[in-house]
Amino acid sequence: MRNVWIVFKTLVKDWLRSPTGVFFSFLFPVLLLLIFGTLFGGTENTRYALYIQNLDVDESGNQTNLSTAFIEAIKSTECFDIKPLDKDVNISAFVKNQQTIETLRFLVIPDGFEEKAINKTVVVRMGIIVDTLVYVINNYSQYMNASDIANITMGKEMLSAYLNQTNATSPEVLLIADEHAQSTQIIKGIIYSVSNGFNNQLTGASDIVIPKSEDLQQRRWRAADYYLPGYIAAFIMTNGIIGMTTTVTEYKRNGIVKRLSATPLSKRDWILGCILQQTFLGFALTLLMIGFSWAIFGVRAIPDLYAVSLIFIGCVLFSSIGMTLGGFVKDIEAANGIGNAIGFPLMFLSGAFWPVEVMPSYMQTIAKGSPVYYFHQGLREIMIYSEPANATISFVVLTVLAVIFTLLAIKITRWKDL
Amino acid sequence: MNTVIEVKDLVKEYGKSRAVDRISFDVKSGEIFTLVGPNGAGKTTTVEILECLRKPTSGRVTILGYEIAKDEAKIKKRIGVVPQEFNAFERLTVLENVKLIADIYGRKGELKSYLELLDLWDVRNKKFKILSGGMKRRVGICMAAVSEPEILFLDEPTTGLDPEARRETWGVIKKLKETGKTVFLTTHYMEEAEKLSDRVAVIVKGKIVAMGAVKEMIEKHGGGYRVFTKVGGKEVEAIFKKYTDSIIKVDGGLCGKFLGKRDAAKVALDLYSRDIEAEIVEPGMEEVFLSLVGRKINERGEFE
Ligand SMILES: Nc1ncnc2c1ncn2[C@@H]1O[C@H](COP(=O)(O)OP(=O)(O)OP(=O)(O)O)[C@@H](O)[C@H]1O
Ligand SMILES: [Mg+2]
Repeated sequence: MRNVWIVFKTLVKDWLRSPTGVFFSFLFPVLLLLIFGTLFGGTENTRYALYIQNLDVDESGNQTNLSTAFIEAIKSTECFDIKPLDKDVNISAFVKNQQTIETLRFLVIPDGFEEKAINKTVVVRMGIIVDTLVYVINNYSQYMNASDIANITMGKEMLSAYLNQTNATSPEVLLIADEHAQSTQIIKGIIYSVSNGFNNQLTGASDIVIPKSEDLQQRRWRAADYYLPGYIAAFIMTNGIIGMTTTVTEYKRNGIVKRLSATPLSKRDWILGCILQQTFLGFALTLLMIGFSWAIFGVRAIPDLYAVSLIFIGCVLFSSIGMTLGGFVKDIEAANGIGNAIGFPLMFLSGAFWPVEVMPSYMQTIAKGSPVYYFHQGLREIMIYSEPANATISFVVLTVLAVIFTLLAIKITRWKDL
Repeated sequence: MNTVIEVKDLVKEYGKSRAVDRISFDVKSGEIFTLVGPNGAGKTTTVEILECLRKPTSGRVTILGYEIAKDEAKIKKRIGVVPQEFNAFERLTVLENVKLIADIYGRKGELKSYLELLDLWDVRNKKFKILSGGMKRRVGICMAAVSEPEILFLDEPTTGLDPEARRETWGVIKKLKETGKTVFLTTHYMEEAEKLSDRVAVIVKGKIVAMGAVKEMIEKHGGGYRVFTKVGGKEVEAIFKKYTDSIIKVDGGLCGKFLGKRDAAKVALDLYSRDIEAEIVEPGMEEVFLSLVGRKINERGEFE
């Protein structure tokens, strides 16, 4: 064990003094993190552009009170960047002159919106009264005298008769938007809930189900939070597979491995020392990425003891895979080649940068079989969802693989006949 | 003197080709033993088998009484190694590299005396990468010596060095011998073998073609002393003929071969007394090799 420590110290020192090593292990990932973080995390404060055309105006050309109130309700969600569209504009013609349609959205408030809404409100309220009367007669008639019952029944009959002959229709607000754009679903949802709230207000119903909201900052994770575990996993993986493979091949090529193998240092201690050094790098990298994410993107995910343990196991696993590959290859080019050939596909397949679900199903199958997937899924469960129990499979898979690959690296690395 | 290395019928095959072909030799404690031969002769293969870095195909090797197949760990603790094309950690300093090896061997205490012995004390805080070729080799030797080994294996420690650096390295190797270490050396420089070794083994194509003390080898295979003149002619030839029959023409002059140093000196004096310039050439390992193998080796270790 003392020798593992000696190897570890030496390798760390050697690595720290290598500018390219530092660049590729640290700066490169951090730069990528900044770029990706900005790309994916930047949608935070976007408002959706929305044209509103209000056709509900009175004889003198003023917008009706109710339609104005509806627009105000939509505004109050603060989700939209609202641009009024004159009632004379022809939307089809307007669209033809625009470059892109993904961000074009129109909400049309029809003529007669207010009138229809009021009529409908009256009808709805009457309907409620009728229903109430029926309920009272059915359930409480034994407590009432006959004349009251007769009066109530008569009132109910009159109202029902009135309802039957009026056919008040609901005013329809029309959303015109690109059905293929992802944002359209979100916008539909918002407008739907605004309409609901509006309806409740009109009918005088008080809220029955009350959506309660917590402080956004604590509960809702930003994109950068969501992706951070993925980045950590992906870069520990590439650092291990690509970095470790090339490092040990370099040591082998320039004769250092031979020099050390001529001393009493054992092969096992050399390999464990290498893995330990790479693990240390992985940890340092993780700290750095979290630091950057914290400072720049306001990420809140702080790794706890579970996360630290999983990161440790992940570092050991991917360094040992790198050591194993390094045991096969002879020259640096081959090491680079094999490292990249395995590292990069794994990185992009892993779901570290985008959800696995958006990939074709056969790729999902491959991705879900990769250790990187278990790694970042586990980290996500711990760091984002605070559900360490859900990371059990990740712990098991990574630990088993780490042990297997460490033993394999010791088996495959040649300490003789180099 | 007791034997510290025993090699008997050692064979190493790489696939079908035989790199080392049934060689046997002994190395005595405290001597410098040199394996000399051209590129590809099997020198590295042989040393690395002795260092437990390669597995022999067959044969018996014992180092300090231990068999290489059984007691690798014990052997490694007691030997020091400078591999061919030696490298250290480039970005570590001289001192850090030497300390690394000392740490692995568990050696405590000061390293200054070792660094001074190898003239490295002044550059101890320089990174290995920026050292000259000669210094790098000395760092290698220092790293091998710091564990106080009983046997030092130096595989071509001066190849690629300029003559000055080579001579400095020779000085270092001699100093190490003086401290009582056994040195196992390989080289393709005949001069090096001659200047440093107590005994040499000439290896060609995996076979040892001759072995013995340097002096004896030269006496036996050196082909005697030669005297060269710049001019020829009857007069010169007559003087040569008084002492030898072996006379050949060389570049307008003559060359006579003599078995003893005395005869050569007499001829030379005779010639000088008649104002004829003469040069005595002593035989060395170069001549030994030439007469044994029939070819010379150039500066790079290839057959000429
Ligand atoms: N690992 C190997 N695999 C196959 N053949 C090898 C291997 N190592 C050496 N050889 C071959 O064995 C022969 C002897 O090689 P070796 O390196 O022992 O020679 P050497 O005397 O040290 O030469 P040099 O002066 O070039 O170092 C050569 O023909 C070489 O090509
Ligand atoms: Mg060699």
